Amino acid sequence: MAAPGNLWLGHLRRSPLLLFLLLYTVLAGGPFLWVASLSLRTTPEIFAHPFALPGPLHWEKFAEAWTRSNYSTYFWNSTIVVVTAVVLLTVIGAMVAHCLARYQFRGNRLARFVILSGLILPPQLLILSLFQILLEFDLYNTLSGLILVYVAAHLAVTVYILEGFFAQIPQDLFDAARIDGYSDFEIFWRITLPIGTPAIFTAVTLNFIILWNEFLYAVVLLTEDDKRTLPLGIMHFMGSHQLDIGMLATGLMIAILPIILLYAFFSETMIRGMTAGAVR
Amino acid sequence: MAEVALNGLSKRYAGSGELAVKGMTLTVADGEFMVLLGPSGCGKSSVLRMIAGLEPISAGTVSIDGKVINAMPAKDRDIAMVFQSYALYPHMDVFNNLAFGLRRRSVPRDEIERRVNAAAAQLGLTPFLKRKPHALSGGQRQRVALGRAIVREPKVFLFDEPLSNLDAALRVTTRNELIRQQQDIGITTIYVTHDQIEAMTMGHRICIMDKGEVVQIGPPLAVYRDPANTFVARFLGNPPMNLMRVALEADAGEARLRLGTLTLPAAAWPADRLGALGSGALLGIRPEDLYETSPRPGDDSLLPLPATVAAVEPLGAETLLVLTLDGVEEEVIARCGRETRLRPGGRATIMLDSAAAHLFDPATTRVIARIGA
Amino acid sequence: MGARRARPATLLVFLAPAFLLYASFTVYPVLRTFWNSIHTIGPHNVQLFVGLANFRALLFDDEVFWKAVGNTAIFTVVATVVDVVGGLLLALCLFSGAPFAKLLRVVWFTPVLMSYVVVGIIWVWIYDYDWGLANLILRSIGLGAFEQSWLGDPHTALWSVMATHIWKWLGFNMIVFLAALYALPAEVLGAAELDNCGWLAKLVYIIIPMLRPTIVNLLILSFVGKMMIFDLVWIMTGGGPLWSTETVSTYVYKRAFDWNTFDLGYPSAIAVLWFIIILAFVFAMTHVLRSRDRLEY
Repeated sequence: MAAPGNLWLGHLRRSPLLLFLLLYTVLAGGPFLWVASLSLRTTPEIFAHPFALPGPLHWEKFAEAWTRSNYSTYFWNSTIVVVTAVVLLTVIGAMVAHCLARYQFRGNRLARFVILSGLILPPQLLILSLFQILLEFDLYNTLSGLILVYVAAHLAVTVYILEGFFAQIPQDLFDAARIDGYSDFEIFWRITLPIGTPAIFTAVTLNFIILWNEFLYAVVLLTEDDKRTLPLGIMHFMGSHQLDIGMLATGLMIAILPIILLYAFFSETMIRGMTAGAVR
Repeated sequence: MAEVALNGLSKRYAGSGELAVKGMTLTVADGEFMVLLGPSGCGKSSVLRMIAGLEPISAGTVSIDGKVINAMPAKDRDIAMVFQSYALYPHMDVFNNLAFGLRRRSVPRDEIERRVNAAAAQLGLTPFLKRKPHALSGGQRQRVALGRAIVREPKVFLFDEPLSNLDAALRVTTRNELIRQQQDIGITTIYVTHDQIEAMTMGHRICIMDKGEVVQIGPPLAVYRDPANTFVARFLGNPPMNLMRVALEADAGEARLRLGTLTLPAAAWPADRLGALGSGALLGIRPEDLYETSPRPGDDSLLPLPATVAAVEPLGAETLLVLTLDGVEEEVIARCGRETRLRPGGRATIMLDSAAAHLFDPATTRVIARIGA
Repeated sequence: MGARRARPATLLVFLAPAFLLYASFTVYPVLRTFWNSIHTIGPHNVQLFVGLANFRALLFDDEVFWKAVGNTAIFTVVATVVDVVGGLLLALCLFSGAPFAKLLRVVWFTPVLMSYVVVGIIWVWIYDYDWGLANLILRSIGLGAFEQSWLGDPHTALWSVMATHIWKWLGFNMIVFLAALYALPAEVLGAAELDNCGWLAKLVYIIIPMLRPTIVNLLILSFVGKMMIFDLVWIMTGGGPLWSTETVSTYVYKRAFDWNTFDLGYPSAIAVLWFIIILAFVFAMTHVLRSRDRLEY
């Protein structure tokens, strides 16, 4: 079977195509490479020659950013929030997805409608009231408050992805398990979760990336510096140190690096995770 | 005149060491219906796609009417193809599926209408012209695919296993329709299939392929009666030809073949061929040439073989016997009439029609001769 | 049959945590926002019922709101079209058997993974008047006359932010289209080839019509996402200069947290109204764009 492209373009001339490929690759990847190089230079160096490659490689800036500029706090806050939220989302979401996919009960369609309607709710509809609610329950400016909000906000997507997959697991497996005497929870634990691992992986990836980068909820619900997550921390730093380009760039690199590292090893999973739900 | 000639045609797929098609040479005469027959993976579909221009050619040439068309893009080759999956355009109705190729070739509108309506009438598709493919049955879709090729009025028709997705009854009726069509229209046709019944009934000539190579070409019955090697012998015919090892013996200057307890004189073929054989050969005999009772009593070309019945398979119109011949390791299958009284475990004397037996060289698998010939 | 029914207690255990969280932090806030929109909410939760006054003021007296709506509308329509068409073009480039297609796919997707903060700050630097990449390139190829204060000039600010947003999301649409292209039955493209279709004809008559469901889905997805845009605008321009990049979402935020009078009722009204408008558009788009027939293959 010919490569699909041959069936379409066949013998078309390649050089304009190649030029375009090169240009777009520079456009897509160039800015990041620029930031990477900036992160290793000091601000005076940058202003002198904005586009030179790093002369001496100032690795110490990373340590500096970590300790002096509070990046360590921001990083750990992000880690705590995101990891906890993703774990909760996965567990709680899987339980809902399993229940909706597996069991027939009177409220099944209603429950599904309620949860999935969360897919079209704009954040703006929620943040103002969430602001009030968190204030009232003393959860304002706390990581726990943010975690709870994140979990609630992303339940819809998680359930959407997981339910679609769980529903395709053949009923025979469950019937057999039931005959073997497994309890409902054991069925969930021993059958749905192991077999549904690919979808769970997808949901985890998607949630992780989205929450790691999340800005709107965080900026409304967290104001104290030692509670800030990484995106907020960078913005705050940007506000007060606008001209310290070098340090800002280093901070950006710290924020980017975890994602890039994961991407280098798991690019397929991450690509699939982020586009799940859009690809039919 | 649309004669299709393949010369040394070869195909290597990227990343593969092996050639999928190995230097195939074949000429299909104008108006001929040529069937490419072979098991899955023998390269027949690759050959078809190279002729169509959908697959790049690794070596060799394809010519139409003497003109080499290797470099010609598929759309300029004036070839129409019916795909195994029909490849209908899902977003267009039947009329537009049929008309699309003609529109793309700037055929005038009234001519398009004439051809499309004629083809639709011919294929019984007129009530479905406004329907989309997903609303058609498999047989209807197949006819649309056929119609799409017919309206093109091309030089060559190519068929890639078009009947394999149809159920058995539909396959029979469609097969007959295709035969009739080809006789009426008379366009050069190359037809790929793995089904020997289609090959036997539809082709003027069949070309048997195995592992990328042409094994034998000829009219169906000729190939059936005179297979070139054991592969062809066992590929055509259902149940397949029985092959049994025979030992070669020399006895006082006279060569003999020993089949179990039976000794066959070896006088029918030249001694030099026998010499090249070494000590053994393969005897091939078709199930219909083994008889429960002699068809020509008194004719001594019918040799008796004592046997034990291993199984009896009544098929309704006839019965198949699975037999163990005395002294022969391989089980053989014989066809006999539906009124047979033989039972498993029983003894019988089976008549072997030596006039129809073939001898094969076990080393090269090629045929040596027919005993009776 | 018994495997498909569960005891009510079991159902409760499976569903309760999610629904409790969801009810408290999603359903309740939505309802509360609707409630807020018909009140004026002052400091210390002083509530005053005002009926539809907020909506009236919004629709008839608020110039800034309409400016924001205009900006958001332009942004949404232009960015959606460019994003979807661009994504298709990129996917076609990779589909056509470009060299290193696998690697390019990974590289081209990278902007999608980055936070808006990272993307925003990098592009603020690119757009910098003095030493930013954009003006530098213009100067170096002799088009120095075109250099702008991209984010500082009210005429160019919205388009600059839009360009950045498109840059971030092209890779997403590309991946979805690429998957759809590979799902096309190859034999149909072969049939089109034999029907005298060159690459352009195949694209216009076969590929795009068969991709229609994907195109519609991405249009709607993109549309909804851009109607709600906040992060990038906030980070790059904060809605300025002179409201030229103000979007409905940034306006909501400002009215709630950045205004001289504290009132959560008014911004809640904006959020409610906008939500209804988005829903209306989604229904309309779905109805108009979805093809009536199923497109099976």
